[in-house]
Amino acid sequence: MSEERFEVIVIGGGLAGLSAAYRLSKAGRKVLVLEKAPFSGAKNVSGGRIYTYALDKLMGDAWKDAPLEREINQELLMMMNDEDAVVIDTTTNAQGNQSYSVLRARFDKWLAGKVEEAGGLVIGGATVDGLIRKDGRVCGVTVGDEELECDLVIDAEGVNALVAERAGVIDPIRLENVAVGIKSVIRLKEKEINERFNTESGKGAALLGMGTANNGIFGGLFMYTNKDTISIGLVQDSKTWKENGFHLPDAMEALKEHPVIGKYIDGGELVEYTAHLIPEGGYDSFSEFCGDGILVTGDAAGLCLNRGYTVRGMDYAIMSGIAAAETAEQALTKGIFTKDFLSMYTARLEHNTLNDFKTLRRAHHYMANTEHLFTTYPELAIDAMQSLYKVDGSAIQGTVKTVVRGLPKVKVLSVAKDAIKGVLSL
Amino acid sequence: MMKKLNMDDRLAADRFDSDDEHAHIVIDKEACRTCTHRACTYSCPAERYKWDELNDVMTFDHVGCLECGNCRLVCERLNERRPGYDWNYPTQGHGFLSKEG
Repeated sequence: MSEERFEVIVIGGGLAGLSAAYRLSKAGRKVLVLEKAPFSGAKNVSGGRIYTYALDKLMGDAWKDAPLEREINQELLMMMNDEDAVVIDTTTNAQGNQSYSVLRARFDKWLAGKVEEAGGLVIGGATVDGLIRKDGRVCGVTVGDEELECDLVIDAEGVNALVAERAGVIDPIRLENVAVGIKSVIRLKEKEINERFNTESGKGAALLGMGTANNGIFGGLFMYTNKDTISIGLVQDSKTWKENGFHLPDAMEALKEHPVIGKYIDGGELVEYTAHLIPEGGYDSFSEFCGDGILVTGDAAGLCLNRGYTVRGMDYAIMSGIAAAETAEQALTKGIFTKDFLSMYTARLEHNTLNDFKTLRRAHHYMANTEHLFTTYPELAIDAMQSLYKVDGSAIQGTVKTVVRGLPKVKVLSVAKDAIKGVLSL
Repeated sequence: MMKKLNMDDRLAADRFDSDDEHAHIVIDKEACRTCTHRACTYSCPAERYKWDELNDVMTFDHVGCLECGNCRLVCERLNERRPGYDWNYPTQGHGFLSKEG
């Protein structure tokens, strides 16, 4: 494969890398994507749902042929204790077509096909293990004994960005900025999923939950309806989990026995069990986005955002891939690959991605340091709601009195403080 | 309720093309004795690390690893690639292969 010289080499055939390669191939550039799995999609894992604004931006209507699962038009926010749950169920029909549940093994393979149709080359089974530098500038990569040269490298290697970290392009990712996701894909009949989530074929639900399912640790439960499977899992702050010493795989499996959660997946068959890290340190965890001859995108750049009730990464991966491609196009046209010139990539990111991270700069810190959020508050919500429905023959109290009855469990002032901080951070 | 599965049964649902010759993660099983937290044993989603009380060593099996990288972050030795410890992705398309993703 070294006979042909490529203008751009992309490390990693996930959403960021393929998006960059798709744009550059469309522009007629010679692009090579190196993917460590045998083909794109074969090591990719997400929650997951994908927001369509990013796909629109990437390829117009072309994404409408993509293998997506269900259009999400129902958002469930769950707070639970060991036995019960309060679920806030919001339909979003009027917003229409905002996001779809997705299974990445199929989607990324499809997108890689689009890159190849556009003239790009995607090679699987190629684990990049280093960068080639000339006069300090990155100008290629190594895959085992093989050296591949190019004008510009786009690093889209994912959350464990070993190549960029070890070459000193970015700072190593830190434990406190990472969450570990663990997921089961469970097969049911399409009709059963429709009934359980009160939905119809083609439409579906996304559920995020917090409470005792995750032992009260910063993190939460997620569920996405796919066509004939349900993706269910936990996302847990790695550092807090390490400090608390709970057994992660057991916590995941215990979801099946939860009286409310278990019902959604009852009778299903496990078809896949996976795990993946999520870089969720946000704005203050960012490292450099470029160096001489290299641009860093997607998870490798830390572009994931956890807002508690939504978690986003795939759309930012695509947006950063687009920004990288546009920057690469300008660099190739001018023949300039210095860090200084490439820093226009950061400016592009500011415009299409980083503003969100700036706005939610304090979200990660807030959630990591507000333990009530994952313990007391879900419990309080359940108590308050249940008290409204409780009928046992005792004298009726006014609604306000009934609801505030549970509050002494935490100091009212600290609730107010957490609430204010939450509003400001999320 | 759906039956709980042990780790072998969970991993049996997955597809792997394991590299039997080369482990992509290397640890020093005896040196792990001096670790104060052994967070790998409860933080690994695939239970690849187990503390063997009887022989006073860590046991580790790279086959069945889901390649998430959590151990690389909870373990200082892997993180810093101290002598006897290293974390890399499998090469030549080996390792975990997602069907669903």
